[in-house]
Amino acid sequence: MPTADASSSPLRGILPGLVLIFPALLAIALLYVVPLARSVVFAFVDADGGLTTAHLRTAVELYGRDVVFTVLVALASLMLISVVSIAIAGYLTLGATPWAVTALRWLYRWPLFIPFIVAGQTARNFLARNGLMNSLLIDSGLMDPATAQSLLDWRGLVLTFAWKQVPFVTLLLAGAMASVDRSTVEAARNMGAGRLRCLIEILLPQVRGTLLVGLILSLVTIMSVLSVPMMVIAGNPTMMTSMMAHRVTYYGDYAVANALGLFSYLITAVAAYAYLRMTLTQHNEGAR
Amino acid sequence: MKRSLVLGAAFGAVLSLPVAAQTLNVVTAGDTNMVDYINDYLGPLFESQNSGVTVRALGTGPGDGGSQALYEKLSAQQGNDVWDVDVGVVHQRMAGQMVTEGLLQSYRDKTATGALVTADSAENALGVDVGGYVMPMFQSQIAIAYNPALVTTPPQSYADLADWAAANPGQFGYNGITGGMAGVGFVFGWMYAFSDMSETLRNGPFDAASAASWTPALDGLKQFNTVATITPGNAGTLDALNRGEIAMGPVWMDMFYTWVADGRLNPDLKLLIPAPGMPGQPMYYVVPEKAAEAELAVKFIELATSPEVQAEGIVRRFNWLPGIDANAVKENLTAEEWGALFTDVSPEVLAERGLSMPQADYFRTILETYERQVAN
Repeated sequence: MPTADASSSPLRGILPGLVLIFPALLAIALLYVVPLARSVVFAFVDADGGLTTAHLRTAVELYGRDVVFTVLVALASLMLISVVSIAIAGYLTLGATPWAVTALRWLYRWPLFIPFIVAGQTARNFLARNGLMNSLLIDSGLMDPATAQSLLDWRGLVLTFAWKQVPFVTLLLAGAMASVDRSTVEAARNMGAGRLRCLIEILLPQVRGTLLVGLILSLVTIMSVLSVPMMVIAGNPTMMTSMMAHRVTYYGDYAVANALGLFSYLITAVAAYAYLRMTLTQHNEGAR
Repeated sequence: MKRSLVLGAAFGAVLSLPVAAQTLNVVTAGDTNMVDYINDYLGPLFESQNSGVTVRALGTGPGDGGSQALYEKLSAQQGNDVWDVDVGVVHQRMAGQMVTEGLLQSYRDKTATGALVTADSAENALGVDVGGYVMPMFQSQIAIAYNPALVTTPPQSYADLADWAAANPGQFGYNGITGGMAGVGFVFGWMYAFSDMSETLRNGPFDAASAASWTPALDGLKQFNTVATITPGNAGTLDALNRGEIAMGPVWMDMFYTWVADGRLNPDLKLLIPAPGMPGQPMYYVVPEKAAEAELAVKFIELATSPEVQAEGIVRRFNWLPGIDANAVKENLTAEEWGALFTDVSPEVLAERGLSMPQADYFRTILETYERQVAN
């Protein structure tokens, strides 16, 4: 309820709030909105200052495949991330072997502290045809040297992104699962439900929102990483970020790079819309 | 250290020493080894000869992108009276553009070492006249590295190379054109060999319509790509050679020698330059038009292009080919050190097959046509 004083002079009530959020708003405007608007505008401006769609057409013609590749790799990564993080978070919540739960809890967070570029370099040495993984498999007799193949393609990307993002999503998910009322799970267990069934039918529906938030934030991260595709992927198609860097490095061509950026914005904008809608719904539900 | 002192004394006698607190900002494109070169070797040497001077090195990143960053830095300051870069180290393509746009000053005549600059690339940078504005820091060259255990009779020309690759699928690896200059250079060499306009590609004049005549050459390259392995980056090619995944691939010669010296690469690997040749490029020292410490900058470059420093720093420590007249540098090296530079590729072959990069417009057009016709 607004106080009587504030309702007589609405501005006085709003002003302190405005002053408080002003620095944050200014930072967002200067560091985010202005560069974003500039890059969108430059994607449509030619050398003489006129409007053109030539950059967009070049981007589609030369890098259309890369855009599709990016979307597919992002989706595949998100799927792998969901499966693995649900499995880990589920075991952390429902696991019955205390030492295994402790060990997993200790281990799963490590990749959070490894920078993407290090993950990229590690993947490059690990997944190459004569890399560490295949060498180990061959030495242990599990693989025939002739069948060894390099995983440094979309599979390497998906694995690296998943490896990096699984801990983050698991962290959110395990927290959410821990705060779910355990009595529902215990009731189901008493009725004879297996742990897997408890996870899928009882826990998961209750933490769906958290999982979605984790995946949306992962998508934005995946869309923005440059080092991993640069190090893992050879040739084309590759992630859009690589091609934006290529455009700037070899052609000094910011226009086409910006046009490519537009596709990134569109994809992340869809995710951002879903995210905002969800937080608003949650907010409204909370307010009721 | 002792050597640095001797060098320091020699130059101290020649140069007058102003005693004042000055900072010389050296901004260099290229890999981290470029910054290391200034920070670990050249900077301290210059400081020891010029008391009160501090050399501050800043790297702007590898490849043409690094030069582009320096260009943008200078271009943004164009309205200012004084710019915050005293010495720049840039690639050829950007040097041409910077000269054209009046961002650099002509300084070579003010240096005592100017007369030692004999390379053609010091006068002409991918079709732009840069005489006087630049002095080459070093020359680097792209060559094909191969594993003699797997390739007993290495191909000596691009045509032979294409045949060899077809007979040995997957054994030739290069990094395409998006993974670094070694791959880009390989593609330029391919165009020199198969486009019938090798001379024009390098020296101009530029004619956008000529790209239409490249279709057979590019179709051949597309065919070649189906039997080649595409590696991730310049280092990726060396890694793949080292792991035995490929038997042959284009590399920068200096990077190759450095990796061998560091024990990161199989020392049995060898180098060759197939006919008609592969491109190489210098990096240039430049002085921005409104550098705050222009005089000091010229003095710094004079030191950097002296035969002693070229021998010790460029050849001995970093395995680059000298930027100034090689004969002047030779006197400062042992016969063994000089020989090591040309173990696999003789000076004659280098002179004949060490070509320049394409003229700037062709540079761009070849890459874009490749993207259109070969990569897609």
